[in-house]
Amino acid sequence: MTGVRGTAHDLAEFRAEVRGWCREHIPADWRRAQTGVPEEEFVAFQKEWFQELRRAGFAVPHWPREWGGGMPVAEQIILYQELAAHDAPRLVLAFVAIHHAAATLLAAGTDEQRRRHLPAILDGEIWAQGFSEPGAGSDLAALSTTARRQDDGYVVNGQKVWASGAAHADWCLLLARTDPGAPKRRGISYFLLDMSTPGIDVRPIRQATGESHFCEIFLDDVVIPRTCLVGRENDGWRVAQETLGAERGMTMLELAERLGNAGFRWLLETCARPGPGGARPVDDALVADRLAGFETELTALRALCRDLVERHDAGTPGPADASVVKLFYSELLQRMTGFGAEIAGPAAHAELRKPLSSGWESGAWALDFIGSWEWTIPGGTSEIQRTIIGERGLGLPREPRGGR
Amino acid sequence: MNIDLSEEAAEYGRQAVRAFEAAGGDDLVRQAEREPKRRAALVGPVLDELGALDLDPRGDAAELEAAAALCRAAGYFAVPFPVAERLSRPAGADGLLVVDGARPAAAVAGLDLSWTAVTLDGRRCDAAARAPEGPPRTSAFVTGLDLRPAGAGGECARDLALGLVLPCWTLLGMLDRAIDLTREHVLLREQFGQALARFQGVRFQLTEAEVERSGAEALAKYALWSVQDHRGEAADDALALRLAAVEAADVVFRVAHQLHGAFGFCDEAFLSWLSRYGQPLRRLPLGPAGTRDRLTRSLGRRGLTGPFGEARERAAR
Ligand SMILES: Cc1cc2nc3c(=O)[nH]c(=O)nc-3n(C[C@H](O)[C@H](O)[C@H](O)COP(=O)(O)OP(=O)(O)OC[C@H]3O[C@@H](n4cnc5c(N)ncnc54)[C@H](O)[C@@H]3O)c2cc1C
Repeated sequence: MTGVRGTAHDLAEFRAEVRGWCREHIPADWRRAQTGVPEEEFVAFQKEWFQELRRAGFAVPHWPREWGGGMPVAEQIILYQELAAHDAPRLVLAFVAIHHAAATLLAAGTDEQRRRHLPAILDGEIWAQGFSEPGAGSDLAALSTTARRQDDGYVVNGQKVWASGAAHADWCLLLARTDPGAPKRRGISYFLLDMSTPGIDVRPIRQATGESHFCEIFLDDVVIPRTCLVGRENDGWRVAQETLGAERGMTMLELAERLGNAGFRWLLETCARPGPGGARPVDDALVADRLAGFETELTALRALCRDLVERHDAGTPGPADASVVKLFYSELLQRMTGFGAEIAGPAAHAELRKPLSSGWESGAWALDFIGSWEWTIPGGTSEIQRTIIGERGLGLPREPRGGR
Repeated sequence: MNIDLSEEAAEYGRQAVRAFEAAGGDDLVRQAEREPKRRAALVGPVLDELGALDLDPRGDAAELEAAAALCRAAGYFAVPFPVAERLSRPAGADGLLVVDGARPAAAVAGLDLSWTAVTLDGRRCDAAARAPEGPPRTSAFVTGLDLRPAGAGGECARDLALGLVLPCWTLLGMLDRAIDLTREHVLLREQFGQALARFQGVRFQLTEAEVERSGAEALAKYALWSVQDHRGEAADDALALRLAAVEAADVVFRVAHQLHGAFGFCDEAFLSWLSRYGQPLRRLPLGPAGTRDRLTRSLGRRGLTGPFGEARERAAR
């Protein structure tokens, strides 16, 4: 996969290449095989799939060439379109590592940090994100976990919550307060935390969908060496802001393509299945109307995502583009899975498990619908996205806020 | 026409809330999930204490109101027992279930009771609950039913109306609770140095949910009155209530979850239990689209009579 391609002809060739690869390498029955498997099998499957993608040069296409990426944006778009069209498993476990951790290391890490971690991530190092705390959700800057200077490092105390996948993580991106006296955004530092350090207690949180991918992380006198500080001390807020949204574009494009491909296909199949009375929902004019509405919205979403990554690549992103995309995606996901659950009817509620490694739409509609409620919360809730669109996109005055 | 519950019924409802609270309150559903076999034993004594099964909602107008108030109290705690279904039982059965004839199911797994079912098109059957397919954690006690036709009961329209209306009162209790929980949460939870309740974006969502809830409440009272008054259109009123209640539930639970943030998805939050155990009431016998379809077909071009229907007819004459 080398050489810069750009002409329509080259891109068509690339697409054909990816298609061929997908047909050969995506395990045909992974959805069935991954439904209801124990956690360890899910982890093993995720790791294997990551290595499969890596061998093809598809695991971290967005990284710089010297670290194993370097795929032009036009090709990345094609790659994610084809992976979605062929219903490839999603990289769930590696998500934070290849996106947030990598973006942070590339933007603010030292050379040594990059050399230590980027190749390790390619070899399967798993990362979690330890930002949120019981008292710091939307108001992340209110976080109160402390990191006190001691000898040649820091001693960390506090509690993190909602850290997705932390039970499997080798490393964690950590925000902690290094200067309790400074204004709240100026006293935070960004750390790389080795999860095998003594004093760390990770506890899974039981969730509505019956799984527990959220974890609490308790930190009790955890020592972090100075070499694991990212950026300057007390400059962690800026680092987090710069890198949090860095990958929003391509990850949203991938999710949108999945929703538009496998997701919409499941929905059509559900609607085309004859009901108990023999009639097919899709023959009902109202159902057909809803489907047409979804297809229109999906087309718009995919176009928006494409526009977002292209503008990002060209260095001309609008200040609220990413928020528009996230808001639109998460609310469309809720509407679509809600409709799926409704059409599938009570039978959907007998489906108690969904395939792990799938996207937010798996065809187990009732579970997907409950899961979709989560999407309007992380990475900036829908209310926070609306605030950003209002303030940065439309240039409205800031909302009055206490404590800022 | 006065559609408000009588003071006695309202007082009975308050007593029921206290009794469920004393019996464990929010813990009832948690315990029942852990030990599904015990759910009848957990709830039975409270119902006895309240004299619930002595109520005669079919025969006595005042007791129908008391039954509605009791269902609402049960919903408030997501009481893991088909209270409304027991209360609406016809003679000769332990309970009444309104089902979609094509896919009969109800949240009655693991109870040793004999059920009469009435299908949405008004057929009366005997119903036997199958063994549950999964643990309550995922099935919320829903299980498939085997139906056996039970000859014309004569009372089918009344069964249908009562069997639809009382469970809506349970759902109404759940909506009351979702609103209360969310209100408490946004008053208590602070972000950006102030209670969430101070943000207009938060307040407007909660008020939108409350408007939906109170609309459903008004219709619940009206449909109850229509049953009480033996109105010919009571079954249509019941279906209209059901549509309003499930649509309100969509909004109320979406808002409640959104305003709870990540916390709303974990077991520590009662909202998570309420929304899981509310699913059967929202989806059975039919979800919003199916209910709307039924109602539309049943009404044709006639429209609902509604509280002002007679006046309208008089004016047209
Ligand atoms: C599926 C999922 C995965 C997650 N993964 C991680 C992870 O890996 N690592 C991690 O650190 N965190 C993670 N989180 C946590 C996530 O970042 C927080 O949930 C999020 O920041 C919101 O915080 P909160 O849940 O405390 O809600 P709160 O901030 O308490 O918000 C509650 C409600 O109030 C609203 N609100 C808050 N402030 C305002 C305002 N100013 N104006 C209007 N409305 C407002 C919110 O929009 C929301 O509706 C995850 C969450 C979810 C749901």
